[in-house]
Amino acid sequence: MSFLTPLFLLGAIAVAAPVLFHLIRRTTRERTVFSSLLFLLPTPPRVTRRSKLENILLLVLRCLVLCLLALAFARPFIQKPTDADKPTGPGARIVILVDTSASMRRGSLWADARAKADEILRATSPVDQVALFTFDRALNRLVTFDTWTQTAAGERAALASKALAETSPGWFPTHLGTALVSAAEALEESKDKLEIVKRRIVLITDLQEGSRLDPLQAYEWPKGIELSVEPVKARRVTNAGVQLVADADEADKKSAETAVRVRVSNSTDSKREQFQVGWASADGKGFAGAPVDVYVPPGQGRIASLPAPPAGNAVDRVLLQGDDEDFDNTAFVIPPEAAKVNVLYLGADAEGDAKQPLHFLKHAFQQTRRHHVQVVARGPGAMLLPADTENTPLAVVTDTVPADRLAVLRRMLDSGHTVFLALRNADAASVLASLAGIDSPGATEARVADYSLLAEIDFQHPLFAPFADPRFSDFTKIHFWKHRRLDITKLPASARVLARFDDLDPALVEVPAGRGRLMVLATCWHPEDSQLALSTKFVPLLYSLLDQSGGLPPQPTQFTVAGDIAFASVGADTNQPITVLKPDASRVTVAKGEANFSQADQPGTYSFTVGAGTKRFAVNLDPAESRTAPMPLDELARFGAALPGLTPDAAKAEANKRVLQNTELEGRQKIWRWLVAAALAVLLLETWLAMWTTRRLTEASDAAAAS
Amino acid sequence: MRLDLRPTTDASDSPMRSAAPGASRRTGFVDTQTLMAIRNLELRARVVVEGFWSGIHRSPYHGFSVEFTEYRQYSPGDDPRYLDWRLYARSDRYFIKKFEDETNLRCHLLVDNSRSMTFGSTGWTKAEYANTLAATLAYFLYLQGDAVGLLTFDESIRDYLPARHRTGHLRHLMLALEKPAGGRATDLAAPLKRIVEMVRRRGLMVFISDLLAPLETLERNLTSLGACGHDVMLFHVLDPSELTFNFTDASMFLDVESGRNLYIDPASARKEYLRKLEAHCAAARAACQKLGIGYARLATDQPLELALFDFMRERMQRGKSAKQVRR
Repeated sequence: MSFLTPLFLLGAIAVAAPVLFHLIRRTTRERTVFSSLLFLLPTPPRVTRRSKLENILLLVLRCLVLCLLALAFARPFIQKPTDADKPTGPGARIVILVDTSASMRRGSLWADARAKADEILRATSPVDQVALFTFDRALNRLVTFDTWTQTAAGERAALASKALAETSPGWFPTHLGTALVSAAEALEESKDKLEIVKRRIVLITDLQEGSRLDPLQAYEWPKGIELSVEPVKARRVTNAGVQLVADADEADKKSAETAVRVRVSNSTDSKREQFQVGWASADGKGFAGAPVDVYVPPGQGRIASLPAPPAGNAVDRVLLQGDDEDFDNTAFVIPPEAAKVNVLYLGADAEGDAKQPLHFLKHAFQQTRRHHVQVVARGPGAMLLPADTENTPLAVVTDTVPADRLAVLRRMLDSGHTVFLALRNADAASVLASLAGIDSPGATEARVADYSLLAEIDFQHPLFAPFADPRFSDFTKIHFWKHRRLDITKLPASARVLARFDDLDPALVEVPAGRGRLMVLATCWHPEDSQLALSTKFVPLLYSLLDQSGGLPPQPTQFTVAGDIAFASVGADTNQPITVLKPDASRVTVAKGEANFSQADQPGTYSFTVGAGTKRFAVNLDPAESRTAPMPLDELARFGAALPGLTPDAAKAEANKRVLQNTELEGRQKIWRWLVAAALAVLLLETWLAMWTTRRLTEASDAAAAS
Repeated sequence: MRLDLRPTTDASDSPMRSAAPGASRRTGFVDTQTLMAIRNLELRARVVVEGFWSGIHRSPYHGFSVEFTEYRQYSPGDDPRYLDWRLYARSDRYFIKKFEDETNLRCHLLVDNSRSMTFGSTGWTKAEYANTLAATLAYFLYLQGDAVGLLTFDESIRDYLPARHRTGHLRHLMLALEKPAGGRATDLAAPLKRIVEMVRRRGLMVFISDLLAPLETLERNLTSLGACGHDVMLFHVLDPSELTFNFTDASMFLDVESGRNLYIDPASARKEYLRKLEAHCAAARAACQKLGIGYARLATDQPLELALFDFMRERMQRGKSAKQVRR
């Protein structure tokens, strides 16, 4: 029996009160006259046998009335099994989704996950259809529905267990959203339209905070598919991870002070806050040199700077110690090789003249960790060697040049490089005419009253894009004493004015030429012409120009597991097969023409041969895998997954439905009426019995008095 | 005076005689219930006394009471009217003759009429039984020619009749005894003290009471009575329910004297009550023994003839001890 308002049953507790009072009552109506109380002491109140026999029936009847009323108010009803409780015919269709991401390598998580999966497999009935998938960055179908149904009923669970036993967690990140979407789609595919079956995804995972759920946001969870989560929990919760921080392309001289910067992140449920980080020893188990102590509160991260490794130690990894899990305690480091970039300067400047453009140009380009930019100056009388144009994505010209050099410049333009022409004088415009293939640009010396300013800068152009931020877009502090006036009508139609002076004369014009481009500055940067070389915009403008020229290619040496690695980015020649040596000493040969390497499935140092040398790159764990604290289950519900009882609307609707069903059932049965009627009948009986007992006592006492 | 006072029932000294309903019939005594149904007190007393005499096969009118029992030598100051001249003629000595009224008892009956005496579970109260006992003794003694007086008391003296043996005096006694008992409490000390002051001449004091009062002053006052030369006999009258406490129901017990109520469960209170009652009776008996006072405990359902037996036996014992002392 169930109750609509069960709280009223507490009213039955009130029955205890009269029972208690009945047991300890002291007074009695009976009187006995005696000669003297000289030898008598009062008796402590206790129940006598006679009083029980006389009044117990009345007490029982009164208690029964109270109990019947309490039951009636509680609105009892007899629950009948509904159709929803009856099992449907064809069984359930279940996808078991097991997490094999890097975070599952912790402790006994994988063993626990397998045990849960085995338990679920054993609990399935012969009419159920089960598929077993594992997931990390992608879904891996171990056992499909078809495989399941084709296997004999008694062997299905064993088959799935065996398939799972042959799997183990990898090093990939947790793309949980993608896996859930794929699993739901797998259930949708196999939906039998003729009969409605129960469809369920059983997710076995550590549900770490670093799991990616974004794909669920754009996915509408299909109706009828229930997600139940079987979380596995680590026994030891303190986990910190170490990741490399991308180095700023700072000046090379600073590299001696700090070899590498690392970020130590502590998970939100950690119990400890003190860790040590340092270069790993040769065996990878200890530190080479003194470690650095890092204090990281739970849920936060700290950046630590490590000095250069001890001399003589060829170390390639940073080690973290002090937490409970070591799967994310190593960060592999491959220092980047500085790329040599040449910038050709063609001008009549004297070496060492501090007032000439060449001087400022040379000082603008610094040698950094990633790039060694060398300005190769060739004066009018110097020979231009072929090596001068190797690795030269940018040529800077400030004067007229002879025909042979014009040819070199044309070749550079045809190769897709950039020629930066600064019109130091109007005559230098002839270089523009030659390279752009026009007759004459009509350059004249502009009359500047005092100074000119740059105005109408096209910040949409990639050259000026770094200055688009309002903090950096102010060029008005740069004064131009002189500039040349170009007749824009004489420039090719494809020319694009990137900046103008405040008198509307073009200041910087881009002229496509060949596969490259010609950038024409109608002035020069040395103090005679302007304050440009002395401004803070000069160096970033030059580097932007060099970058646009392709002279500053990115040189990543740090990658994460699961990412595809472009061979070009690591300097590999894809015109021939490439054999990559993996950290586990296995070799993978990639066919010629393959642009990417996609077998970086474990953290470590990878190497391949390039020409006579070897190039290396490091692959590390995805930082998200270090966020091992479990996320709350309703996080999945927030992304739309239908968890039983967790989806607020579904749970509420279910609860409301149940209440309505119960109310309707109770309204039909109306058992409370019978209880009230019974209470009234018992009350009448009690009243009659009390009257009869009182009358009998009165008669007896009267008779005793009369005698 | 020789009397065969051997009762035909158990000769135990214990006053706790069985009050079984058929006992009086077996022994030939008057059934107490029948006796107490007699409304006239004098008649009741007469029945008991005659029953007593018939029980011992002896006519109560062959009066030993008319014979004088002793001579004493004349002393200067004695009334010459009582000189026995015949004895002088024979002995040539002067002797004073002790006549019946001198040689017979001067008895005072001290009857407790407090409210506690109004309790009774046998159909009659202790007071009615005590009054019957007193009336019986008065009648018995009157027939012997003894002077009988009466003093009834509760917390103070209610009635006093001096010891007389005159026509009509017995009637006055009966009328005084027929008055209903009342009073609020039982005070043994005040009446006893008063009787000592009032009765100068030595005699017999028969004290009839339920003694439901503290006994501290009883011994002292009884001592005073004994010091005055009185012979004292104490009849301790109790109701059978007081002796056995044979109640069964737990109820509020009401004290008839004080009006106090107590919740008593007889099952749990009986043992202690009987212990205290026995201790109280033992203390009274011990006090009486110590003072040479006769003590008899009577239940109100016992035949009154037994009380007479106790009385006579006590008198016999006293007579023997007195002769022994004189010799």
